[in-house]
Amino acid sequence: SISMSAASEADPEEQQREQHARTTLRERFLHCLLAMTNKKVQFHMYEKVKVEATFGASDIDMLHFQVSDLHTPIGVQKEALIRCHDVISLTFDA
Amino acid sequence: MQDAWSHLGPLQWIRFVNKQIKVTAGKDEERRGWLVTVDPVSASLVLVDFREDGKMSVDMVMGHAVEEVQVLQEADSETLDRLQNSLILPKTCSLDA
Repeated sequence: SISMSAASEADPEEQQREQHARTTLRERFLHCLLAMTNKKVQFHMYEKVKVEATFGASDIDMLHFQVSDLHTPIGVQKEALIRCHDVISLTFDA
Repeated sequence: MQDAWSHLGPLQWIRFVNKQIKVTAGKDEERRGWLVTVDPVSASLVLVDFREDGKMSVDMVMGHAVEEVQVLQEADSETLDRLQNSLILPKTCSLDA
């Protein structure tokens, strides 16, 4: 994944600014994930595959999504884990 | 361009927040919306689009799939208000340092 700090070579003040930006962005992102819980989400995957599922959770490093009622072309999977690397984007209404 | 987005880092990503952007992802997927945040761990973007019925449509574009990010416009004060008050954001989480 991503290196710890792009400003690692820079001065402490720069590092602090970067850390503040990182914290703000991450906090906002976690709230977005929370807002997605129990919502119907459309996943846009590679090869033009689109599936719909009820969002449950993500692991902390965004490697997997846990979903329920995953509608696939061959049927409905009650519970599933989706590999984030197979996903291009996802959409939901709020 | 691939991977360039992932390597920008928090100080660069935060400059795109509250701007309307166009993201090209995967082979030919395109998403437009107001950037709410970028996950510093996965470089994934969260975009919102305000609909006429008062609801919002939210797009999350995975960082690994991003090919290109283009700024379309800055938010006016009304849009900023709507973004700050959207339900997907914490009330206390401002961008000010």
